[in-house]
Amino acid sequence: MATRGRSSFCRSLPELELLLLVILVLLNGTVLSLEAASSSEIHTGEGNNTSKKPFPVIGIMYDDVSVPFEISLWVLLASLMKLGFHLIPRLSNVVPESCLLISVGLLVGGILKLARDEVPPVLSDRIFFLCLLPPIILDAGYFLPIRPFVENIGTILMFAVVGTLWNAFFVGGLIYGVCQLAQDKYSEINLGNIGILPCLLFGSIISAVDPVAVLAVFEEIHINELLHILVFGESLLNDAVTVVLYHLFEEFMESGLVSAVDAILGLVSFLIVALGGVLVGAFYGILAAFTSRFTSHTRVIEPLFVFLYSYMAYLSAEVFHLSGIMSLIACGAVMRPYVEANISHKSHTTIKYFLKMWSSVSETLIFIFLGVATVDGEHHWDWIFITATLILCLVARVIGVVGLTFVINNFRIVKLTTKDQFIIAYGGLRGAIAFSLGFLLHTDHKKIFLTAIITVIFFTVFVQGMTIKPLVELLAVKKKHEAKRSINEEIHTRFLDHLLTGIEDICGHYGHHHWKNKLNRFNKKYVKKILIAGDRCKEPQLIAFYHKLEMKHAIRMVESGGGSKLNSSFPSTVSMQNIQPKIQSPPSARPAERALPQLTKGREEEIRQILRTNLQRTRQRLQSYNRHTLVVDPDEEGFDDLILKKRRMMELDWKIKEMTNYLTVPHAQGSPTMSRTRMASDSQAYVKPGAKGVPSIQIDLASPQSPDSVRLLDEVGHDQGLTMSLPSSSSRAYKTGGKDDDRDHQKLLRCLSDPGPSADEDEDEPIPT
Amino acid sequence: FYRTRTRTRTQIKPDSVNSVISASAAHLLRLHQRFQFLDKDSRGSLRSEDLEAALSENPIGVRIVGAFFQQETVDFPSFVRILAHFRPTEKNRTRDGVQPDPAVGRKCPSSVAFQLYDQDRDGKISRTELLQVLREMLGLQVTEEQLQSIAERAIQEADLDRDDAICFDEFRKSLEKVNIDHKLSVRFLE
Repeated sequence: MATRGRSSFCRSLPELELLLLVILVLLNGTVLSLEAASSSEIHTGEGNNTSKKPFPVIGIMYDDVSVPFEISLWVLLASLMKLGFHLIPRLSNVVPESCLLISVGLLVGGILKLARDEVPPVLSDRIFFLCLLPPIILDAGYFLPIRPFVENIGTILMFAVVGTLWNAFFVGGLIYGVCQLAQDKYSEINLGNIGILPCLLFGSIISAVDPVAVLAVFEEIHINELLHILVFGESLLNDAVTVVLYHLFEEFMESGLVSAVDAILGLVSFLIVALGGVLVGAFYGILAAFTSRFTSHTRVIEPLFVFLYSYMAYLSAEVFHLSGIMSLIACGAVMRPYVEANISHKSHTTIKYFLKMWSSVSETLIFIFLGVATVDGEHHWDWIFITATLILCLVARVIGVVGLTFVINNFRIVKLTTKDQFIIAYGGLRGAIAFSLGFLLHTDHKKIFLTAIITVIFFTVFVQGMTIKPLVELLAVKKKHEAKRSINEEIHTRFLDHLLTGIEDICGHYGHHHWKNKLNRFNKKYVKKILIAGDRCKEPQLIAFYHKLEMKHAIRMVESGGGSKLNSSFPSTVSMQNIQPKIQSPPSARPAERALPQLTKGREEEIRQILRTNLQRTRQRLQSYNRHTLVVDPDEEGFDDLILKKRRMMELDWKIKEMTNYLTVPHAQGSPTMSRTRMASDSQAYVKPGAKGVPSIQIDLASPQSPDSVRLLDEVGHDQGLTMSLPSSSSRAYKTGGKDDDRDHQKLLRCLSDPGPSADEDEDEPIPT
Repeated sequence: FYRTRTRTRTQIKPDSVNSVISASAAHLLRLHQRFQFLDKDSRGSLRSEDLEAALSENPIGVRIVGAFFQQETVDFPSFVRILAHFRPTEKNRTRDGVQPDPAVGRKCPSSVAFQLYDQDRDGKISRTELLQVLREMLGLQVTEEQLQSIAERAIQEADLDRDDAICFDEFRKSLEKVNIDHKLSVRFLE
């Protein structure tokens, strides 16, 4: 019964969405017509100046907010669509999101056209290139996996440059041939009139693999890293080629004359565009890294610097007609290691989520607008031209990939198999960039070009996008490993790097590793000192990585355990009288404040339970509104399972420790962490348990070791932004280790609320006994 | 030039080398030139000090020299044989699976790496051995506690049979993402 009810509800959801969609569109339409009405009202009002009008209680002033209002409507539509698709699981498994979004765009465009007989020009090139494209590219560049990218850079460049050139000339040249063969003087548009240069221009537009489309489709198929980075890297780097070819052919069309000098200039221009873009990006990246060095006091605006500098890099590159995409990628990739070393954990999370959000919305909007723009605009459907284009594109891509792989495999250690080649060829999707560039054309044959471009885009997105997933399954292409990077991998990778550098040194061979080593050395010696604040410039990467891992685990631990898990590693913690001064404990726990050590066992347990539950609740209450307050998000992955596991373990721990937990007796067999904190606080010498101070606690894999993680927080604590710092210095006044640990406990709880000023503000007087 | 060539011919015994690896004469010549370059005293064999000089900046240089160049001196055929472990062989060229190449006497690359960790050859990487490696790699930049916690965590992640050390299989398993076999190839030695 219940299931049927649920399924009927689910079935009604698409209808609900459709209804919502129609409502939105009608709203749009009515609002716009009201705008016309209100403007006429104003005129009549002015005409009758003399007669007194009654005071307008309600008026409609749509003009003032029309633009933001419409923009918000579109974004809202896009986001609702995104929500809606995932509620229909069957559909989203078969059809990639991009197809659905284009369909929605078509629908909306159709409705708008019927309603108002004209469609807003949404995919104008300014909106696209200045607002919609940068977030996606920045997201890609900032999170670009550097290692595989650089390892395969040769292959990627070959595909991007030579492949795109080949595609452009092949398609452009042959389509010219087809046009000449199929010319028909009596048809509306005579194909034979299309000159060679417009054809080549068309070829250059249509040959570029589009990063947005590739991202959208490849994200869903989880293909292995190598293929992903090859196709994606190609789609990013071919922007330079496209820009150069586009401008080149446009210039040639204007001047009408092509000479050998122009060809050479074109080559030079390509180098300038590509390298200049990268240099501009790197420059802004270094500026951003340098700026982030000084942001330790204003953590809240750190993400803003990242975004602004990247956007400036993009715009600056566009000013000089350099490749904006490459500049953006370079900026993101260059600034990332330094910025991440400088900014707080929360800023890092912010940057990540903002980038993901913007790029997601952008992508959605792009596809919807693609659909809308298809409905708009004049088209001229010419069977021959369009089918020829389609076939030529596919053939060019296949030949290009096969030929290039044949050459490249001689230089690669890991060869590309036929399966790989097929996926690379099949993954050459065209997208909105081609469309926008086509939009910018000024030739007479714009209509037919645009129609052909749209057809190719639709074909690649729909047909290739939909079938690539089954094909990947069918061909059993290696998929991505979902496991996160472990510390072992990090250690061993570095070890192997050193090993191979050594071998190369022995051979006297200046290979890949040799130069990488030199770069790392240079980086460590000079660059890091300038760009990274404070002590962290000396921190080796392995340590930084380790700290990141530990931070994540510690946050997860505190979030899920409510601090009680902490108790099991500090066996004598949670002494009653020390919990509260900073936390508003509810009245029910107040009797515990003044509790004397001599409590009965049962009462103690009861109080513990009360405190535990109340601590969790209080923590949520601490999230008061404050512009400077940020709350830590727990690490989402496996969070629920983790909580359950931890809860269960906590119950077990409580039962075990219940008998031995006295309030103020320091434990002799505590963890080295505890002994260390106590050693910092006590002047008395304390015997460390165990032989070499190696932790001897049984750690089970479900919960990564807590004592070590908390101990590490100690070491990380110098940085102001990492508020999970445990006070190790000013704990002289403390008498027992228990109090010290409670401080830590409180600190960890407080860190959830405040990223701001000094993390040491509760280091005042010792807690009164 | 003629003298060098005769020296080459007398000093390389092509059969002994070529039976182990099949390399072109050009490659052998290059390696021999390098060998002679490293051999500062022109004694016809290398001592460990010569190699350590080449690897002075490498944090694990001593370890590499120690692991590979086990005898007091290394003559050219042994030099080539040891370096041949790092040749990209045919079998290693696909990404799927790797087999040790018994015909060539070449060890599987991961066992080569494992041996570098496992100095006492007991077949396991114990915590102390791991600590030593970390200490060498990270040097003086980190505190002892940090090293220990990293080592602890590494062992905890990789150690599946709870013997507090990483055996060869666990080592391989933890590296399945890192394509170790194709990483351990130096192009030069083809």
